Amino acid sequence: MKTKLETARSLADAHSQAEPSLKRVCLLAPINEHDPNDPIKLLEVVEGTIERGIEPVAFTADPTHGIEYPSMIIEISPSEYDALRGRKIRVGNQDWTISEELVSR
Amino acid sequence: MKGYVSIQAIDEEWARSYARQALSDLNAREALVNAGAEKCHRLHFLQMAAEKTCKAYLATTNGHDHVRKSHAYIARILPIIARQFYGVISRVRIPHWEISEIRRLAREIEMLAPACDGGEDRRDNTEYPWEGARGEIRTPCEYNFPNVDDGSRQIVRLIRLIRTAAESYCREA
Repeated sequence: MKTKLETARSLADAHSQAEPSLKRVCLLAPINEHDPNDPIKLLEVVEGTIERGIEPVAFTADPTHGIEYPSMIIEISPSEYDALRGRKIRVGNQDWTISEELVSR
Repeated sequence: MKGYVSIQAIDEEWARSYARQALSDLNAREALVNAGAEKCHRLHFLQMAAEKTCKAYLATTNGHDHVRKSHAYIARILPIIARQFYGVISRVRIPHWEISEIRRLAREIEMLAPACDGGEDRRDNTEYPWEGARGEIRTPCEYNFPNVDDGSRQIVRLIRLIRTAAESYCREA
């Protein structure tokens, strides 16, 4: 069974191949490998997306397709990304930070 | 906005409910297609199904209160669902231009709701008459909505995506 980090890399790669406007994918920390119910959180920077702030989109785990963990995607524009760099992303009562860059092009 | 750690069962139930209603809207659309209904009605049910599917994917993390009032989610959320579906789940490779077309169609479908104009002062919608550019009154059931060909291969693919996405949430949310 893949770790969350390995799964995050697979998701980022698959999303990158599917979406031509995807410029960057970053992992959001903490990743909490010990808790399988805690979703993988990806920040995806898409050129041309509508700027409406931080709204995580939740996907359930899908073991039949090799995705053992739930995931969450936050899509932002390049200018929103520039404004967020170095800052915490607050979702509810959680603070997330931009961590490893999984895709950049 | 609610924290994902404290996801409440009630928001998950809202998500399942949105997904079930989206599937019902799609079935209603099929019945309208088979009955030869005007395009405005076919598109109206497509817009409603797309909106509710997007809300299903937002409700658990953002809370039902956050998503319930707006119609303006399709343009941004449906492309995210599309890349998860085509990139991870189906592994059906579709050309990049079709992914871009999904983004364009999602925006057009969102603007079919009377409350959404995408910032373009668009008044064409599937429900209520509107005033055209030359002051003429336009009626949805007599309008051909030229920006959305609801018989195209891309729309068929998009409808399949919306159905699969809604079914996924009905099963597991």
